[in-house]
Amino acid sequence: MSDALIWSPLQIGPVTVRNRIVFSAHLTNYASDGLPSEQHAAYYAARAAGGAGLIITEEHSTHPTDWPYEKLIHGFHPEVVPGYRRITEAVHRHRVPIFAQINHNGGQASSMYSRLPVWAPSPVADPLFREVPKAVTTAEIAEIVESYGLVAAHCAEGGFDGVELQCSHSSIVRGFLSPATNHRSDGYGGALEHRARILLEIVAEVRRVIGPDLALGVRLCGDELIEGGTTIDEAVRVARMVEATGQVDYINTSIGVATASLFMIEASMHIPPGYSMFIPSAIREAVDLPVVGVGRFKDPLQAERALSEGQCDLVGVVRGQIADPEFVAKARSGFTDDTRLCLSCNQECVGRMGLNRWLGCIENPATGREALGVGRARPVRIGRRVLVVGAGPAGLQAAIAAARNGHHVTVVERSPVAGGQVRLAATVPNRAEFGDLIRNQLNECGRLGVQIEYGVDATADEVRRRDADTVVVATGSTPSRPWWAPAEAEWIVDVRDVLEGAVHPTRSVLVLDELGFHHATSVAELLADRGCSVEVVSPGMVVGQDLGVTLDLENWWIRAGSKGITQTTELVPMGVDGHTVTFQHHPTGTEQTRSPDWMVLAVPSSPADGLYHELRAAGVHVHRIGDALAPRRAHAAVIDGERVGSGIPAASGVLAGR
Amino acid sequence: MPGLLDPLVVGPRTIRNRIVLGPHETNLGRGRSISDRHVAHYRRRAEAGTGLIVTEEASVHPSDWPLERAPLAEECGPGWTDVARVCQAAGAVLLAGIGHSGGQGTSHWSQRELWAPSPVPEVNTREVPKVVEPDDIAAVVAGFADAAALAVGSGCDGVEVNAGQYSLARQFLSGLTNTRDDEWGADRSRFLVEVLDAVRAAIGPDAVLALRLSCDELAPWAGITPEQAPDLAAALVSGPSRVDLLTVVRGSIYSAGATRPDGHTEPGFNLELTRSVRAAVSEVTDGRVPIVAQGSIVDVGQAAWALESGAADAVEMTRAQLADAALVAKLTAGLPERIRPCVLCNQQCAVRDNRNPIVSCTVDPATGHETDEPALAEFDSVGGDGARSGSGAGTAAPVVVVGGGPAGLEAARSAALRGRRVVLHERDDRVGGLLRTVAALPGRGRFGALAEWYEAELERLGVEVRTGSGIDPEVLDDFIAAGSEVVWAVGGTDGVASVELLDGAGLVPARLVLESDPVGGDLPDGDVLVWDPIGGPIGIGVAERLADSGRVVHLATQDFIVGNELARAGDLADANSRLARAGVVLHRRSLLRAVAPSSATLEDRFSARRVDLDVVAVIDAGHRLPTGEVPAARTIGDAVAPRTVHEAVLEGRRAAVGLSG
Repeated sequence: MSDALIWSPLQIGPVTVRNRIVFSAHLTNYASDGLPSEQHAAYYAARAAGGAGLIITEEHSTHPTDWPYEKLIHGFHPEVVPGYRRITEAVHRHRVPIFAQINHNGGQASSMYSRLPVWAPSPVADPLFREVPKAVTTAEIAEIVESYGLVAAHCAEGGFDGVELQCSHSSIVRGFLSPATNHRSDGYGGALEHRARILLEIVAEVRRVIGPDLALGVRLCGDELIEGGTTIDEAVRVARMVEATGQVDYINTSIGVATASLFMIEASMHIPPGYSMFIPSAIREAVDLPVVGVGRFKDPLQAERALSEGQCDLVGVVRGQIADPEFVAKARSGFTDDTRLCLSCNQECVGRMGLNRWLGCIENPATGREALGVGRARPVRIGRRVLVVGAGPAGLQAAIAAARNGHHVTVVERSPVAGGQVRLAATVPNRAEFGDLIRNQLNECGRLGVQIEYGVDATADEVRRRDADTVVVATGSTPSRPWWAPAEAEWIVDVRDVLEGAVHPTRSVLVLDELGFHHATSVAELLADRGCSVEVVSPGMVVGQDLGVTLDLENWWIRAGSKGITQTTELVPMGVDGHTVTFQHHPTGTEQTRSPDWMVLAVPSSPADGLYHELRAAGVHVHRIGDALAPRRAHAAVIDGERVGSGIPAASGVLAGR
Repeated sequence: MPGLLDPLVVGPRTIRNRIVLGPHETNLGRGRSISDRHVAHYRRRAEAGTGLIVTEEASVHPSDWPLERAPLAEECGPGWTDVARVCQAAGAVLLAGIGHSGGQGTSHWSQRELWAPSPVPEVNTREVPKVVEPDDIAAVVAGFADAAALAVGSGCDGVEVNAGQYSLARQFLSGLTNTRDDEWGADRSRFLVEVLDAVRAAIGPDAVLALRLSCDELAPWAGITPEQAPDLAAALVSGPSRVDLLTVVRGSIYSAGATRPDGHTEPGFNLELTRSVRAAVSEVTDGRVPIVAQGSIVDVGQAAWALESGAADAVEMTRAQLADAALVAKLTAGLPERIRPCVLCNQQCAVRDNRNPIVSCTVDPATGHETDEPALAEFDSVGGDGARSGSGAGTAAPVVVVGGGPAGLEAARSAALRGRRVVLHERDDRVGGLLRTVAALPGRGRFGALAEWYEAELERLGVEVRTGSGIDPEVLDDFIAAGSEVVWAVGGTDGVASVELLDGAGLVPARLVLESDPVGGDLPDGDVLVWDPIGGPIGIGVAERLADSGRVVHLATQDFIVGNELARAGDLADANSRLARAGVVLHRRSLLRAVAPSSATLEDRFSARRVDLDVVAVIDAGHRLPTGEVPAARTIGDAVAPRTVHEAVLEGRRAAVGLSG
């Protein structure tokens, strides 16, 4: 696709981009004490090196009243400028332009960090932060406008090629634009022209400050997906007003409100790719400015289609480039099979943001660790012969990391295919993309020359017979049987038994969710689709407690409802009598019973650590990673594998100086 | 029997009184070290006379990183030195808290597996830990020894080893979390004994070795019980490690909120447990090992009683000293009535939270912000502010404070402390504002005590309080013309839920329900619905009070859980249990759509199915509205934006600090 639209340059005001892929703005939590960090520079530079057409940084706050999360960059402090320069110089080294997003989150914040009243157009409490804001006076509006100019000046001084005003999903400008949050009766409320006034004032002020040599963009929300909020018609009208200023060079788009409908902004794999393209399409029809479209773009072909169909002029690919910084370069050179496809699992990117942690990636251990050099090849002079037992995500990552440094790696796997539990997890409704984790790892193993042998039963004798220099045990975990479930109750099975096809539950099924993630909900959906009548019970306050952090909880409820799956909480299993399970409702101590035809357990696994202990007892030095160490989620397996695999030293001959 | 101000021998040291500032998470660190902010935080208490201070727990080994800013012992040397220097100079004894969270930590910062005795996941994280191997155990024990040696080498008087709520040591001690079949399972005390022995060997006989021990895991099926704890404690402290001090706490993986609960739990809840542990320990050690009581002890009267009645030899009053750093100074001055009461809300001091909030206090916003919030000379020394009280009663125009809620009360108090003459106008017949309203909520009675404390302080400071005196904004110009500075703190007003109202129906503000006597007494007989879009203490508390009166109560929220905002303060699980036991009917994931005179319509957020409830009243526990700023005055508190007492007090304080002169 070398003549594709995606590779054609585009002029954005004074800035030329060499291709149409944008690494658009997203939070990273890499800031420290309000300042941009080394990690920011390394992170953006990696994506610039990987060929992104344009990078837009995370937001820079314009005012001390705006501090919704701890690791926000305080753009209004002049101390940010050296950090800005570090970022822009690192990116410019790869001849990629970089814009800064500037913003005030308005009422979508709390006073926890700022210890100041939250500012907003009207005293409407945000649905997430739940703090009533102060309705800003006209003098304070002028202060906000001026503060945008101040931060824009810092950005210009810091070497950015342009600025973007985030007026879309978490912003005081959005707050003014939206009838849901703007109840003012002065010149800044009421008719759309009034609600848009602050935006136009900010545009004028920022352009005045940055002059003609920097690009200026405005990001608008096309549908807030909230009651009484902005919808596409008004968004289009605002886009026209923005264009009419003659001072703006492009329009970026988004969908949803970050503090109300976030699950539609950073949609997980359960939402179809390109779901929000109606927004740039409608805006592009109305204006001549270049328009950016976003929304779970996972591969370059999909991006090309959006461009060629005229839906947008540029495509925002964020998670795709979080997972693979070389997303663009690999696509450009035609090696799309090499791309480490994003899973849209949201586990370590979006999921960590909400928990105040630095942005990472489930399958790319280098993400968020670029400045530390994680994932970088450190070739050894003489490689070791490394034997990895188990081809799940931990074992494969250990193999990748070791082979990257020049070791000779063999992976032995008992079953005929790789993937371990990831392979199973990808067999359920709407979770197929999770399986790309293994596809990506196998591709990388292939490029690095890792040998994988299937159907090998790696006993301790077999491992010793192979006489490797280094042994890594990644044997995973096995389902465990809780104390209250008698072995003879064959109708009580593990999630894995169902997904492997070892059992085929029918009629009424009770699923127990003690893991709080996709295990229980996935199997519930699978069985409901097969016609079972399904109830999920949890000892927690909600089924699938952690689905909230990956933004899967809302859509799970929607699907569960449509599939007739019922959910009951705060029940702890206490015993089984015949075909009846007794639960305790722990808040009240009362008993409940269920007598389903089948019961499926999503409960903690047990490490499959027999081989490890056997080898250790025999005095063999071995590493143990992944679930074999402690049964956890896939990201932990990948991180374990990366750490151990990359830490394998050169063959001892080198150390001995031979 | 000794009193709170009598000295106490603690191994090789003597503490000057029996009041302890216990270890508490602060998020004041920079990286994983003890920072200048820690130093200022502890110094303020030490200088007010606290006898013994235990610093925030430091992890003894890199395998433990439970909070982003949880100190790591190997990075704490310089910080410990600074804290020890200032605290000892002020006369306090300073111990470094050390520990390991084991399976109760998180892997999110370390990106490593959790370590624990057995693969039992922690209830909230559900993260299965690694079963520690003998090498790991040896490394952690060595970590304890190294941390203790560093602490003492840095100048601390000793260390406190944590075997309390969040601790690997307790996980080893407990049948809940230790199912090992090796020597550390056969003898569940073995790990802790190894730790204590190693620590003592590292610090020698001249430093203090203190132990914090969970003596009731509130899980009698397998946990440490109050019946077993006395023998366990006696055995631990009488071993060769010669423990010098024992603090009795409670809680386990199934009861995270029970160690430092909010006002729903009676203050001093641990005292009988402490008494029985003290008796057993005293018997085997001849009284050598003093026992510290812990557990919501916030009043000096109860603390004194704990000593007098032989329950303990010293008392941890941590939250009480977050609420009033000068607690010991006021007690020493014979002025206990002037101690600002801790309201046991946990809203600002509970900081074991992903967001890394900095420790602070609802009633003293300078707590935790000793280095960045302008200081108000409050009680530097005994009676330190006495000379200034009422001193401004001269000819200068008074500061006028309009509104006697928490914002106005604090503004008036602080202005008077600054030596200004103050007149406070309150519309009602007594001051206190919403403090007295929320005091009607279960577990929040101490907000009423705060109102009374303000009343007494204002009187003592000579503030002229004019009750029944509503002030129109229009007359402010007269005050200003007379030379007064005006602080406008008239509070907020009831909110308006956006819902369809049928046939003249309306919602009843939660405020009105709480202000009627008895609570809810003005409501017609019949079932009621509480609409709670906030998920904080108010909606749930109103539902509880109404259920107590025998009504059928429905509680509706748009959230997946009831009490969404209660997790930080530690009341989430308990609140849900109380509601369930009270028979409150919960409607989760529901939106209030319409209210009619005898019914209300809820809509499921996901299915959009509607349900009509037959209720005689719908109580609105939603957000309140501001009454707005007054340009001529400094407007503070709920009048600007209705928030919590903390923000009101903070803005009252700042208004006073910002006065001219």
